[in-house]
Formats: sequence, structure tokens, C-alpha cells
Amino acid sequence: MKNVLSKEVVIYFQNFSYSYPTKRNVLIDINLKVYKGEVLGIIGPNGAGKSTFCKSLNGLVPHFYGGTVKGNVIVAGMDTLEHTIAELSTKVGIVFQEPENQLSGLALTVEEEVGFGLSMLGFPRELIKERVKEAIEKVGLKGLERRSPFELSGGQQQRLAIATILAMKPEIMVLDEPTSLLDPIGKYEVFSVLKELIVEGSTIIIAEHEIEELAYLTDRILFLKEGKVISLDEARNVLSEISKLKEAGIDPPSITELTYLLEKELGIKIDKYPIKLSEAVKLYSEVLKIK
Amino acid sequence: MSSIGTSLLRRSVIVKETLIHKSDPRTKFIFFLWISIFAYIFYDYVLTAIFLIGILLLAMMGKILKRVLLSVAVIILPWIAFGVPILSVLFPWNSTLMFKLEIFGWQIPFYYEGFAWGLTWPLRIGVCITSALLFYLTTNPASLIALLFKFKLPFRFIYAFAAATQLIPLLVDEAGTIYQAQLSRGLRTDVGIIKRIWNFLILIIPLTLSSLTKVQIRAIALESRGFSAPVNKTCLYDIKFKNIDYAFFIGMVIFTLILIYIYIIYGFSPIVHLKQYFIAG
Amino acid sequence: MVIALGEKEKEVVPTGAKILAIVMIPTIAALNYVGGVIVELTKAPIWGDTWATILGTLISGFWVGAIGGFLYNIIMALTLWGLPAWIWGTANVVIAFITWFSIKLGWTDLKKPLKLIIPCIIFGFIYPIYTTAIWVLVFGGGPMYKPLPAAVYASVLASTGNFWLANYVENMITEIPDKIISFIIALIIASRIPKKFILTKQQS
Repeated sequence: MKNVLSKEVVIYFQNFSYSYPTKRNVLIDINLKVYKGEVLGIIGPNGAGKSTFCKSLNGLVPHFYGGTVKGNVIVAGMDTLEHTIAELSTKVGIVFQEPENQLSGLALTVEEEVGFGLSMLGFPRELIKERVKEAIEKVGLKGLERRSPFELSGGQQQRLAIATILAMKPEIMVLDEPTSLLDPIGKYEVFSVLKELIVEGSTIIIAEHEIEELAYLTDRILFLKEGKVISLDEARNVLSEISKLKEAGIDPPSITELTYLLEKELGIKIDKYPIKLSEAVKLYSEVLKIK
Repeated sequence: MSSIGTSLLRRSVIVKETLIHKSDPRTKFIFFLWISIFAYIFYDYVLTAIFLIGILLLAMMGKILKRVLLSVAVIILPWIAFGVPILSVLFPWNSTLMFKLEIFGWQIPFYYEGFAWGLTWPLRIGVCITSALLFYLTTNPASLIALLFKFKLPFRFIYAFAAATQLIPLLVDEAGTIYQAQLSRGLRTDVGIIKRIWNFLILIIPLTLSSLTKVQIRAIALESRGFSAPVNKTCLYDIKFKNIDYAFFIGMVIFTLILIYIYIIYGFSPIVHLKQYFIAG
Repeated sequence: MVIALGEKEKEVVPTGAKILAIVMIPTIAALNYVGGVIVELTKAPIWGDTWATILGTLISGFWVGAIGGFLYNIIMALTLWGLPAWIWGTANVVIAFITWFSIKLGWTDLKKPLKLIIPCIIFGFIYPIYTTAIWVLVFGGGPMYKPLPAAVYASVLASTGNFWLANYVENMITEIPDKIISFIIALIIASRIPKKFILTKQQS
């Protein structure tokens, strides 16, 4: 996990509450800041407001759905209430859960799909070509440029969606449960791409049920429940709150939970619960006095 | 019709290197409009048959003759087969007796006006169908989209058209999967009319619900990628006129002048001299 | 559009309906097409290629149903039926209009089956007047290339000598089952669609 050195705030939720036209209080009094280069994970049970949180970053909430809003969300200096979704799309790129359904339906090939967002914003063809090439290489889809997007596997389609966003060069990338509909290979492919992007210093918000992966990827984790912030802290601290997580129906990382249970069972005090395998190996080696 | 339609819309890019494939889609589209309009201007089954043969020759050049002939065989020939006998006998404006046929002791008169009507109209439609197929089967989808951009149609229409042509084969596949699933649950097609309508429902409902879910997700994905941005969209494809297109246009101009001359001098039925009928009465 | 409600709360007018409608239109066109394919598979006694126009109008309003239906015919004109087929797109607009009209007058409630009779009569007897005009003026008004309609056509023409009547009866016998069944099917499907997919305000 890298340290976030930047103190530049790129996302600012100021007392933000939101209700859909048909469902009240989906997000309640959200106050938080996200810094440039940070990777923020979002966890929570179903109906916690994770998707709504993600969609409030690019203006889908509230503009697309309507509803009532309190407070503000400022993203890359733009108030989402004052700017259209199209304007915000230059700053925030969002990848959704369903690989096939988020394809444009207009592009005939992978190349064209990657360039779709840029063509919607009227970028010149030559620039689109350049950015498309870069983005395709970054996500590992080289060689598939001329294929139909509908012929790709789920994992490839999600990487394609990431490439479409990367080509637009947004300041912030948001991923709303990007692997929930993928098989293990697809999940692995997507997380591999994300790891590369994180190394490059991208600001990423990712809502996920794959807690084990978030433990490796994220700097901080936002824990939502019934629209409210339960915790917002370093990943280790949030994932170590075993009882809170279990109460909300979320399984913490296996090694963290194991450590928690062992602590109770053996009656020993452990300062920091491990959230990664390497940490667990180190801790257990010490505890078991094996070098 | 649906089987031919399904197989046509399921086609992937037909990659051939004929002159017809290489020509600009605007040329082929204009040809399609041009020949269809002339098929309607002239009421002459010989001239219309000449138009049709011309299109079939172009189809042969484009190596798509088989596909084009299939639609002629499935649509036009049965149409003529029903139209000619029925109208030769029963057309209200029949007056010129061709011959009488004895059928089950009855002397059935066959008239020229009905015969001509029953032959000309399906041939006209045949010209329209074959020219449409010539356009569609020799134009790759990217060029088709570029054509819509060149015609400066509103982007929303271009999107709707392109998305529909992409969506149709996907939905057909999904329908096939649902059908197989229902067959394995005991669906039968050799049943009464009410049951067949019920079978239609049990296939179409899950397909519709799945399509509507996709609509929601696609809409938010499009919005998130700047779909509604009030700018001119960039077309990623390009089409350019080539020498073959200019030759085609010259040919069309020449033929237009000839046909105009024929129309002025010889009328709308220059070869078989048919009369136009007052069909409002 | 953002409307301030009280001191801090704001109501936002949704903009999603427009883009939903744009994405819905090709879906309607595609569903019309697939309807025809499923008719072939199940051998149902209908054309099955206008039911989605009715459904589109029921759930998304007149314009979505009409344009989606029209788009279907444009695609068929360009890919199979040729130039005259675009005219059938106007018939889809008429279907959408009849459906919209029925919605406005409360004739689309499955729980009140007697009220469904009027739109069925319109679809079965009035709509074929329009299709007859198209069939005669654009396609020549000869018998259709299917045996039963052709037989009906021949019988009416033989007994009455009336060209228009023969075409009207031929159209009617194909449209009565197709449009009425498609109308009922669309109503049934619309009644099962979750509310979140419905863009129109439903008439009670």
C-alpha cells in the first residue's frame, strides 16, 4: 500500500444527502475528502448506498435520476450540482458492474469502443487514435482491436470499459463493483489492470465486495451502511473492526478474522491485525516462534 | 421473410474486394433510390424486368447473386404465382381477352390487364428489394455509419439506427437461448393456436425484461461517456468517392436522360403499352 | 434543473428520461424484429413485428413507440424490403397513435376487459383502412403471397368486383388476429414490467 503524499483534495463531500424520487435517504450526511493519487475503497451491505455514492461523483446522481439533494459534491473543482454529466465526464470516468450492458452499442470494434467517449466529446480523429492505442496497451487488449466488443469475455469487456475511461484521461476513476459479475479469471484480469493504474498514481474510487482484494489495493476504506458513513479510515483500521463488519453482514478478510478469533481464543493481545497474507505470515511466525 | 431477414441482419462484414464493395456507400444508396423511383415511374413489366436484370448483373459482379436470388425466390416468385392467375381472371379493369382455360368444366377467361398488373407490381417490388440488398450486402457497417454522418443526420438518429442493427443479432441469439431452455422444460410447437400464443409470451417476456434492464444501464453508461455533450460528434470512419463512383454517377445520369426521353416520347409504358387504371373507383 | 426547496434541500429535475428514450428506441425496433423471429419459432398466428411499438408506447410514450416502430421499418427497408417498405413505418406510427389514444381514454387496463373492446375494434377494423391504402397505392393491391389471404382476396373480388373492398377484407383478416393479439400481449407484458422501467405516467 503506497502512502498518499498529495494533500490536493480532488473530491469533497460537504454534508451531502440524497434521496431518489422513489426512495428516501439513500445517502445521509456524507462528509469526506479524497486526495489526489489516493485509492478509496467502498464497502457495505446491499442497499448501503455504494452505487449511489459512485454515481454522485459524476453527476448521474442527482441529474439523471432527479430526487432531492442536500449539501454539495465538489469533484476536481466542479460542483456536481452546477455542472452537467457531460462536463463532469471529462473529469470523472465510471466503470459499471455489467460488462456487456455498458458497451455503447454504436462501436463495431474494440478500437472504436475505446474511442467512443472521446468521439462523443468531439475530439479530433488523430488524437482519438493516439489515445486509443495507449489505452488498449495499458489494459492488455492489444491484438483484439478489430474484434467486436460483444465477442469478448466478461473480463475483457471490463478491461475494455476501463480502457474507454482511460482514453478520456479523467482525473478520477470510479469503479462500481467492477468484478461482481465476472468469473475468477475475469476478476484477476481486472484487478491486475487496477494494480498497474494504482502504481502510476491514479485517483481511484472502487466499490467492491471482494474485501480481500481491497485490502491490497486501497489506502482508505469507506464503510457505508443504510446511507451513513460507519467508518472512514485507513484500510487496516476499517477491516480490523470485525464485529462492526460482521454485524453489517460483511466478511472481513479471512486472515484478519482468523487473527481476531485466535486473539480471543488464545487470550493474547495483538496490536495490528494483518489484512494481507504477508503480514499474517510475519505475525504468525512471531507468535508461533518459527523463523 | 423472417428467416431471410434474420440471416441478413446476422451477417458480419462481408469482406470481398469487388468493384461494388469498393464503391462508396453513397453511390450505392443513391442508386438504390434512383432505380426504385424509376421502377415506380414506369408501368411496364418488360422495362421493370430489364431493371431487375441489371441489378442482378451488378449483384453477380458483387458476388452476392445467390443471396439476392434467394429473396427473389422466396418473396417475388410466390407473389407473381398468386397475383398473375387471380388478377388475370378477376382484375376489375380487365378488357383484353388473352385466352380461355377450361377448369373443371368452366371456361375461365384470362385477361391481359390483370396479367400485366399481377406481373408488374411484384417486379417493381423485386427491383426495390434487390437494389436494397445490393446496397446492404456490399456495404460494411462502418461505411453505413459513415454514410449516416455524411448525410448530416441528427446524431441521435445515427445512434438509434446503428444500435438497433447491432442489437438485433444479439437479441436473436438470446431468443434462441431462451427457446432452447424452454424446449428442455417441455415447450412444444405442435399445439393449438392459444397455446402457441402462450408460447410466444413465455419467450418474449424474459427477453423484454432483460432488454429493458440493459436500456437502463446503457443509458447511464452513455451519459457517463459524454453522449449528451452539445458538440459535434466525431465520426471514426471515413468514406471517399473513387473513380468507380464517378463512373457510376455518369452512368446514372446518362440512363436518367435516356429514361426521361423515353417517358416524354413513349409514355410510362413504352414497351408493352399498358394503361394506367383509375383505382379510386 | 435544480430547484431550492427549503433552506438547504434542493429538488433536481431528472434529465435521464431523454437518454432513456433514445436508448429505448433501438430496443423497440429490435424487439419488433425479434418478435417476428419468435413467431416463426412458435408458429404463433401473428406477424409479431409491431407488438413492441405498442409496448414502447405503453411504457415510454407515443414518441418512443412511434419512432422505434418507424426505425424497425427503416431497417427492414434498407436490409431486405427495399424503398417502399419505409412506408410501413407510418403504419407503425398509426399503431403508436391508436395505443396512445387508448391510454388517454383509459382503454388499456387489463382489469377492465370490456374497455379493451374499443381499441380492438379500432385495430381490427379501422387500422386496416390505412394499411389497405398503403397496400394498394404502394404495393399494387394484388393478393398477398400467402394462400389464405390470397384465397379471401380472390373470393371477395370474384363476388363483388370491388378492388378496394377485396384489398380491405384481405388486410382485415390478417390484421385482426395480429393487431388484437399483439395489443393484448403488449398489455400483459407492460403489466409485468417493474415500475422503474416505465417512463410514462400511467392513466388510472
